[in-house]
This record gives sequence, C-alpha cells and structure tokens, in this order.
Amino acid sequence: MTDPREKLVVGAGWQEKLVDALHGDNVRVLAPVLTEGTAEFREISAAAEMATEWINTRTPVKAVLFPRTEALVEFERRPGEDVQFTAADNEAVPTVVLGARPCDLNALDVLDTVFNWDYRDKLYAERRAATTFVGVACTRSDEACFCTGMGGRADDNEGSDLFVRPMPDGGAVLEVMNERGAALAKRLDGAAPAVGTEELVPPAQVGAGPFDTEKVKEWLDTHFDDDFWTDMSLKCLGCGACSYLCPTCHCFDIVDESDWRKGQRRRNWDCCSFAQFTKHASGHNPRPEQHSRCRNRIMHKFKYFIDRFGRKACVGCGRCIRVCGAGQDLVDILAEITTAAS
Amino acid sequence: MCTCNTATAAEDALMDVDYVPYRMRIDKVTAETPDVKTFKLVFENEEQGEAFTFKAGQFGLYSIFGYGEATFCVASSPTRKGYIECSIKCAGRVTQAFHQLNEGDIVGFRGPYGNCFPVEEMKGKNVVFVGGGIGLAPVRSVIWNVLDRREEFGDITICYGARTVADLVYKDELKQWDARDDVKTIFTVDPGGETPDWTGQVGFVPTVLGEADIPAENTVCVLCGPPIMIKFSLPVLTATHGLSKENVFTTLENRMKCGIGKCGRCNVGNLYVCKDGPVFRCSQLEELPPEF
Repeated sequence: MTDPREKLVVGAGWQEKLVDALHGDNVRVLAPVLTEGTAEFREISAAAEMATEWINTRTPVKAVLFPRTEALVEFERRPGEDVQFTAADNEAVPTVVLGARPCDLNALDVLDTVFNWDYRDKLYAERRAATTFVGVACTRSDEACFCTGMGGRADDNEGSDLFVRPMPDGGAVLEVMNERGAALAKRLDGAAPAVGTEELVPPAQVGAGPFDTEKVKEWLDTHFDDDFWTDMSLKCLGCGACSYLCPTCHCFDIVDESDWRKGQRRRNWDCCSFAQFTKHASGHNPRPEQHSRCRNRIMHKFKYFIDRFGRKACVGCGRCIRVCGAGQDLVDILAEITTAAS
Repeated sequence: MCTCNTATAAEDALMDVDYVPYRMRIDKVTAETPDVKTFKLVFENEEQGEAFTFKAGQFGLYSIFGYGEATFCVASSPTRKGYIECSIKCAGRVTQAFHQLNEGDIVGFRGPYGNCFPVEEMKGKNVVFVGGGIGLAPVRSVIWNVLDRREEFGDITICYGARTVADLVYKDELKQWDARDDVKTIFTVDPGGETPDWTGQVGFVPTVLGEADIPAENTVCVLCGPPIMIKFSLPVLTATHGLSKENVFTTLENRMKCGIGKCGRCNVGNLYVCKDGPVFRCSQLEELPPEF
C-alpha cells in the first residue's frame, strides 16, 4: 500500500464518463468483459460492456504489454533477389486498462524488472509507456486466491496509476497514484459527485495460505536434489497452462513463420515445463525429466528470482490452481515445502 | 570475470533491443569437416560494421529468415576487424539451412552478447588452450587474440583433438600454429580415428594433456569441448599439472532465444548463461546445479 497523491470521490456513472472521454481522445480502452463464462480483457466501446461481477480475468493483464504472440521482424524473399527484412510495425497504441486486479498489477513489477534489466526490451517498454492502469479493489475472491500469502492484499493500490475503491451505489473513491493517474483523473472533471457517505464495499477476505515463503526459500536454498521434486511432478502433464496464465511468467520463444516468399520472425509465449524448452539440437537436454522442469518453475519463482532481483515471482492470483487439468495446487506445494522446512 | 557487457550497459543508458538483426553477407564458406562449415560474414551496412566491436568468448544469434535464429560464439578474433566468423556444425533446422548457403547469401546476426574470456587478466601468464572437436571455435577466438599480441603473454600451448583426422576443424590454422616457434602444439585424434599419414598423437585429449609439459606456475587455461572431455580434462589440469580451478575457463552453450536475459531458457540456477556467461571459471561451475 502506498499513500495516494490525491483522492477523488465520484458518484455512479463515472465509468461511462471516463470511457466516453477516452474515446474522444482516441485512446483504446480495455476492460474485463464476460466471454464464454469467464472474464477477459477486451477493447470496449462503452462502459456498459464491462463485466460487473468477476473475480479475475482468465488471462492476466501481462498480455496487454507482452502479447501471447507478436511479430518482431517482417521479411520477404523475391525470386532472384536478396532477402529483405525490416522491424515489424509494433507502434504502441495509447491504452487505458480498466478493472485490473491488484495481484496482476503487482506482477508488472516482475515484468518491468525482466524487460528492463541490463537491456531494455523496446517493444515492452513502449507499450508500458503508452498504457495507463486503473486497478480496482477486489470485493470477491475464490478458494484459489492467495495474494495475502505473497504479501499482497485485495485492496492493494501498488502498481496502479489510478486505484478504484468501489462504493455500493456504483460510486467510487479513486486514488491518484502518479502522474499518469492524475492525467486520467482530469478526464473526470465534472463527474457526478458521490451521494451520501463514502462507505466502501468491503474488500474481499483472502486467506494467506498454510505456508511461509521465507521457510520455503530456506528449504529451496538447500534442496535442489530431493525426492520431493519427483513426487510433486508426477501429476504434471507439462501442458504449460499454468505458465501461460501466470501474470509473472515471461519466458518466450522466437520462431520464424513463413511461406516460400514472405514471413515474420515472431515472439511467442513459452513455458519451462515443456520438454523441448531447453533441448539442444544435439539432443542433450539440461532438464530432461518433468521433475527437473517442475523444480525449475518453483525454484524460479521462490528462489532464483529472489536471489537475482530481490522479490518473489508470484503474486498469489491463483490462476495456476484454477486452470490445472491435473489438480496441481501451488498452495499445497508451498505448504508441503513449509512443513518439510519446519 | 570480465566486465565487458553487464557493467557497460548498466553504467550507460540501457541499450534498446528490438530483435532486428544486422544484415550480414556471407563472404566466404569453408568446409572444415564433413559436418562443420565456417562462415565469414561481413556487414552490409558499413557504418554498422565500423561501429561493431566484440570480445573473445562473446556470442550472437545467427539467423536465416524463414528458418530462425541459433546461438553460436564468434569464432574469429576481435583483433581481426571488418568481419566475423562462425563455425557451425550441422545438427538442427537452422544449422542444416546454414549448410545450404553460399557465398553472397544474406543472413542475420544479433550480438555480441554475454561476457568474455578475461584476455587482459591473462597478460604476462602462460596460456594453455584445450579444445575438442567443434569446441575449438570459441577457443580459436582467444588463440588468435593472444597470438596477435604474442609478446604480452608467456608460454602458449595448444592441445586440440577430435574423433578422427577428418573431424579436426581449422586444419590450415593448425598447420600455422604448428609451424610457429613461439607456440607449443599437441594435436591428437581418438584411437581408431587416425589415417596412415597422421603425424600427430593418437589418444583422447585428457590422456595426451596429462603427458604434456605444462608449467604449473602462472598458468591459465581455456578449455572447451564435449562435456565428457571437460569432465576428464579438468582433473588432469588441476591434479596433474597443478592449475587452480579459478584459472581454468570454459564456455557453456545452453539453448537460448533472446541472448539478453529475458526469455528464461538458458538459466543454470539463478545464473543466466547469456548474461553471467557464457564464459565461466571451472570453480564457478562446481557451485552450480547440474543443469548444463
């Protein structure tokens, strides 16, 4: 939690006003929209399209800054001529994301670190600079949520440019967190003032989970080789769904897709649980079994990233638990490690 | 370890990367062995070529459009300006496509990335180069780097072996090194790999290395080759010849996509081969989880 620069109390209808104002500025507005029984970030043309009751989107907000697939280079080979290539058109579109959850916005810290340490990833950085995030406090949670166990909370304003605390009548308390949030708040000048008291919808109560991340780290520091990894990985199908939907996972592949004449070099999400992920052309594979890959995933989130960058690469959004087809539960894994460490 | 990339990038403004490679033209193709070719690449854009610098041990992403990128060290020496060379063994999709290319064809190159062999730290010392098979490629970059500044270094020994005589790479350069008075050479092929006119030794690299006369004092070693060769050569260097593991350098070649510490593929524990390596001291490797 950070103290906001400024607070604004707005009445019902503020979202409509904001979305209309942004469209007037030719800004793309993304918001959770109910689709196929789940919420996903979609471009909206009116605030009425926004989901009203949702816990979290299926795909995390990372996809806005780091898309599932994107072109890096365009190339063309005309008969009798040398191949020509150029940077793909990746101009960042001015965007406002409404309805992002605190866990997802916490995760942007991890992505910012990865894409800006030492070398700056131009594509990510330009999208990041063109995007404003409006976070919203969670008023509902489910049994998979465990943000509090990772140091977050349902109404954490960290990572938001503008943070929304909803009121029961559709109004909200808006917290301006930085310059970008202030610019957005300006677009709300003249919004209907709130009626009555500033009573908030109480934030969701999220359990911290039966684990202790410090103990987990201690155990991981000394248990690279342990039967635990073989046991815990038996369930894993290596499908990669947990990584794809993880708001902090950032592994990617770079591949060429083309016909005989033209094509693109593309960047696609990848996953360290895949058997081919680290496989050399020679056939040698540094992580040859599923347990070595599952171990890498846990180690990366709860040890390597801390050693390297000083923070955990998990925000407790619970997506990996919700999506796993085999019932693998990260909270159970952390609890088992905590028990083993005690 | 040298500070050739991380420090500079951190001190200066961060370097932007958009993953668009340099446009390179193949100037020369040399068939080294039945499955290894060396490609000499020149920059199509002269300004880029003049601005380009690298250090021995650094790597890059070489690409053919429509096939993809693959990671290789720069096998030429930074003292030889105006071009880079890479030696590519035919193994997978991209490398097979490389072997179909001819002089004049266009390829891509991104780099240089990673750290380098501490050539400055080697000044005034005896240097032992140990290579096996295609593993001579990164070592060759250091060898020419050192030979082009020969007077700054002590005794130089090159110990190189391959499975068969046909599998020895850089055959012309082996002759050049052999002909020099200021370089001691030991060339060997595995038992059964010799030809009737082979004048070098017959035996595995660790064996011939053990019989070599190598000064224990003030000596550093650059070691690169198949994992099995490294495994058996290391105790020979330390126990037989008395080198410390801190003074034995090697390069790791984990699979990579970005080359700049983002794609998450080449990590060994909390180290990225692309950022913290590819050059490591053997003493460092001992502390890493065995994932390379």
